[in-house]
Amino acid sequence: MFDNTSMNISASGLAANQLWLNVIANNIANVNTTRTPQGGPYRAEIVNFAPVQSDVSFQTALGQAVQGIGGGVEVTSITQDTSPFQLVYDPSNPDAVNGYVETSNVNLTTQMVDLIQATRAYQANATAFDAAKQMAVTALGIGK
Amino acid sequence: MTVFELLQSALDASTLRQAVYANNIANAGTPGYKRQDVAFETLLRSALAGGPSGALGDAQIPIGENEPTYDLRALPSVTPQVYTDTSTTVNSNGNNVDVTEEMVLMAENQVRYDTLVQDISDRLARLRTAITGS
Repeated sequence: MFDNTSMNISASGLAANQLWLNVIANNIANVNTTRTPQGGPYRAEIVNFAPVQSDVSFQTALGQAVQGIGGGVEVTSITQDTSPFQLVYDPSNPDAVNGYVETSNVNLTTQMVDLIQATRAYQANATAFDAAKQMAVTALGIGK
Repeated sequence: MTVFELLQSALDASTLRQAVYANNIANAGTPGYKRQDVAFETLLRSALAGGPSGALGDAQIPIGENEPTYDLRALPSVTPQVYTDTSTTVNSNGNNVDVTEEMVLMAENQVRYDTLVQDISDRLARLRTAITGS
């Protein structure tokens, strides 16, 4: 408890989901972006999660026989969505070719679903953090 | 093993459980992740069953209804073990964490932890009563 493993794990979950929320916000903000510094329309970004390897000191504290528990979660990479761009009929747009504009491949429905998922995951991690904190407070009450 | 040592290892198990459930929740969206859990009560029960039994007394604890009591002094130390759980349903990305289930287990574990702390506090209070006589 006092090396705060549970709290660190929950904090890693909070950080990862916060990053995911930022990426979703960026995707939604760029839904109509037709021009990027790299050239071409905006490509939706995808966040990739992976488990963190376990903390060795905690295992030693609880006995060597303990199978490694994970050390939380981390975002290993942010990749670009390779799905095709959407074509929108907008002849007045300077990027239009034959009246059609290639716009970002951000799917708003997917982004909204991801947004809810990321929010719920964030809340779950916050609840887990609170539980660990409450346990530490309870332990401090021993012998009172 | 004294009662306090036993309660301490139960608290250790509970603390480890909190870390394991927190890790499951943190990895609820990680592709391919398999949930983990902690074995303790079953290990404790088999360790107790291996020891000598006797009448209910200071160092004797019953482990269930209609079951013999076991001698706590003869109990070897029991270490909680983390294991990977592959029994639950796996979803399309290879992850088998059910967040609702984890929240329920975490709440249950928290109550168990509080109960153990209360038990230790009560035992210490009784000791204090015995020492001070009031």
